[in-house]
Amino acid sequence: MALLDIKNLNLAMRSYEGETQILHGIDLKIERGEIWGMVGETGSGKSLTGLSVSRLIASPPGRYLAGSIEFQGRDVLKATDKEMRMLRGRHIGMIFQDPTTNLNPAFRIGTQLVDVALHAGHADPSVLGLGAGASRGDFKKAAKRVAVEMLEKVGIPKAADRIDDYPHQFSGGMRQRVLIAMAMIGKPDLLIADEPTTALDVSVQAQILRLIHDLVAERNIGVLLITHNLGIVAQICSHVAVMFRGRILEAGKVNDVLKRPSHSYTQALLNSVPTVHTKRGELMGLSGAMRETSA
Amino acid sequence: MSLDIQNVSKIFPGPRQGFFGRGEGFTALDDVSLSIRKGASFGLVGESGSGKTTLTRCILRLESLSAGNILFDGSDIHKLTPLQMRRLRSRLQIVFQDPYASLDPRMTVHDIVAEPLVIHGDVVNMTASRRTERVMELLLQVGLRSEHLFRYPHEFSGGQRQRIGIARALAVNPEFLILDEPTSALDVSVQADVLNLLHRLQVELGLTYFFISHDLGVIRYICDDVAVIYRGRVVEQGPVAAIFDNPQSDYTRMLLDAMPDPDPDRSPFRKIAAV
Repeated sequence: MALLDIKNLNLAMRSYEGETQILHGIDLKIERGEIWGMVGETGSGKSLTGLSVSRLIASPPGRYLAGSIEFQGRDVLKATDKEMRMLRGRHIGMIFQDPTTNLNPAFRIGTQLVDVALHAGHADPSVLGLGAGASRGDFKKAAKRVAVEMLEKVGIPKAADRIDDYPHQFSGGMRQRVLIAMAMIGKPDLLIADEPTTALDVSVQAQILRLIHDLVAERNIGVLLITHNLGIVAQICSHVAVMFRGRILEAGKVNDVLKRPSHSYTQALLNSVPTVHTKRGELMGLSGAMRETSA
Repeated sequence: MSLDIQNVSKIFPGPRQGFFGRGEGFTALDDVSLSIRKGASFGLVGESGSGKTTLTRCILRLESLSAGNILFDGSDIHKLTPLQMRRLRSRLQIVFQDPYASLDPRMTVHDIVAEPLVIHGDVVNMTASRRTERVMELLLQVGLRSEHLFRYPHEFSGGQRQRIGIARALAVNPEFLILDEPTSALDVSVQADVLNLLHRLQVELGLTYFFISHDLGVIRYICDDVAVIYRGRVVEQGPVAAIFDNPQSDYTRMLLDAMPDPDPDRSPFRKIAAV
């Protein structure tokens, strides 16, 4: 049984012009220990696929026309709200693109982390290292301890002191670490990272990628990494799915797809990345004509 | 036309202390010297907070200098009279980073691109109908069509908006263009189109570019010379090929290593896995 098995996912969104189909039959299977990269341009549906997994798309405007998303054998789309709350934060962790908007500026880092830890702890006390009959005080103490441990783990020095800081006292890279800590605190089985490094500098990006890589190695979790940067995919992903206009054009092992792309769109995407070896004038954009014909 | 930045420092004043006192200031630029050749592309690489944007603001005289000179064609920008500065600004234009924030949502493309022509009316001296012709010409030059003339920014994609921003910057026929991370808000595929457009325009119009980016791949692709800036200091500068192939400073080497290469074999993680 795969960790995550998306079968023939079709999603439509309602807008003023009527309903438009966004995802056209997405199929994707993620096993433990795999890092799946999902690449595509703006509007190709990669983020919506990620959001669908933890069912964060409001309905309406979203509507699933067909398909299923099986997480550890259970269909997420058919789960009740209560079951979903148990999954989110505990079994499925999410990291979003912008660390500045995803932390509440009015609460201390610690408060926000402890909230998540308590939520995960109530779903499963063993996350906090507690038995079933632990008291409320035990929960609070354990949640704080776990929060500090997680912060240390993601590389924030003097975590015990910094836990009482507010988000604005942290730099962009550190805020993103806090978000990763928050996503990892419930010891999830699947991590969905939606453009986790887009807002960061390259050197910080390298640190964050290493962190994600080490977490996978250590905890044997599955990761769905949504990005538009093929460089990131080549670096840390084991598998990659190329999305275009709501469809997966090509999917497979990173080495196969990036070295011998079978689809012309993947090749075009690769050619549009300036690397150390590209000479001026060699870079190929995806011209408007190509966009229209491949639609 | 050349731009010489000589020993420029910029210190932002520290917080007030007591009645007259000031805390220690923040040194955003520390003795920066760069020289930009006419017709070349000069790249400036650095992380956030390294002083890239402060330097461009100093060049545009949006910020005063604490020390040093900025010479444009031999004359010190920071000693010009307001009128001379206005004249100079028509030769010195900027394309901003975020095409979603730098276009007024309530103006049509025509008005956006024509605005510099109106502001620099004393230099350009065009009638309204001539301005419209010029705007049309500019739109075609950056790869937009004449039917886009009276549309609003929200009707365009990110790449198209950046093209509008470039058209606006080119309106008054500048010689020197500051490009402040012009592609960082765009998809890679769109970025490639915009980079090629910039390259073509440079060849056609003989522009000088001052290109700011944190993407080393982009800098390598578009620039002739490059300077690496870290915490307000220039760590290294020289021709692109020399800096990239043979970096002298640890910081440059670190930046190059951190740049994700789309070749899976060059991944640092895979090397570990193989061992």
